Amino acid sequence: MTNYIRIIDTDLAVHVLEHLPTPVMAVNREMELVFLNEAGLKHIGRSWEEVKGKPCKDILQSRHCGTSECKMRQVMDGGQVATVRNEMKINGRTVPVEYTAAALKDQDGTIVGGVEYIIDITERVRQEKKLQEQSKTIREISTPAIKLWDRMVILPVVGVVDSQRAQQMMSAMLQKIMATAAKVIILDIQGVAAMDTAVANHLIKIAKATKLMGCRCIISGITPAVAETLVQLGIELTDIDTNSTLQDSLFDAFSLLDLTVTPKGSKQ
Amino acid sequence: MQNRLKTLHFELTDPFDNVQVVICCKRFLKDLGFGEAQQYLIASAVSELSTNIIRYAGKGTISIGTTYRNGTVGFVVAARDDGPGIPDLKKAMAENYSSGKGLGLGLPSVKRIMDEFEIHSTPGQGTRVTAIKWLE
Repeated sequence: MTNYIRIIDTDLAVHVLEHLPTPVMAVNREMELVFLNEAGLKHIGRSWEEVKGKPCKDILQSRHCGTSECKMRQVMDGGQVATVRNEMKINGRTVPVEYTAAALKDQDGTIVGGVEYIIDITERVRQEKKLQEQSKTIREISTPAIKLWDRMVILPVVGVVDSQRAQQMMSAMLQKIMATAAKVIILDIQGVAAMDTAVANHLIKIAKATKLMGCRCIISGITPAVAETLVQLGIELTDIDTNSTLQDSLFDAFSLLDLTVTPKGSKQ
Repeated sequence: MQNRLKTLHFELTDPFDNVQVVICCKRFLKDLGFGEAQQYLIASAVSELSTNIIRYAGKGTISIGTTYRNGTVGFVVAARDDGPGIPDLKKAMAENYSSGKGLGLGLPSVKRIMDEFEIHSTPGQGTRVTAIKWLE
């Protein structure tokens, strides 16, 4: 085995840390500042002489400072290196940040302090918010209740149903029943990606609510896979009319409304 | 295709996260060779686990992957959360028991759908579920 002796040019190392374009901070066991690089000083807008040896919580004033959430404290007590989110006040503005803390050890392996670097994640948080907004929009536009015929409404359900979406489906459906004086609704679940007990529960609730409004509910799109899953889940849809295809459901819906579809020309 | 069958991890924090789990799970099962009805059935069981995490623990993880035994390939799902845990596991595994919000069919049906099912839950610490479905 080769013994590598790393000769570190301490001046260079400090120079590198100083110029790292993100705050790097080190504290002793008493949580007093022993190092803060240029980017860090610039963030808090103070000079090294002003902050040297001060408790880091007084300097950084982040949400974790002085609480049990402080990762610096945790790694010094023997915790794992950790990266967590936090919020910091920078020039009077609250900025979302992420910091990674690790213990500082001497040559014998005794923990003498801690080091952390802080990254501004404003842009990432903004992107996440945008994504959340988009998800919400998709959710909202994915529950259309459509008037199919006089007194007939259809609600095609596609994708994955969660409780929030089920709630939207329910209100969209009930409002449409009210607005159109519908007597029959078709809930087409052919496009539902999976049927767990929560989804089944929501469908049963929707069917029950429509019934209370004097409307018949037909659940369509019970494919072999859906049927098998419902049986395996032990769910009974006894009071609800079901069909495998939308065509059959439509036929039943017309029957319920005393309507028949006849080919053109076959009058009478 | 081999690449695709690597273990997938999902962080769950929002009900909408279940979409990703279900869709990816079905694709994974398809690549593994499960038939359409089986894909739907197993994805439903996975959805049950993921819904449970979001509903009771608020957050947690779902991992899906493959396992091999005696030349047979299996689909394995692991659900873990650090939530409140299940106080009475025996009761929760009994048919028609529910702690309130569901139909009370959840966990037993996952057990029924999957070939192997293992659950560990410590009140105040969280729940771990591992289940396997062998490809026949």
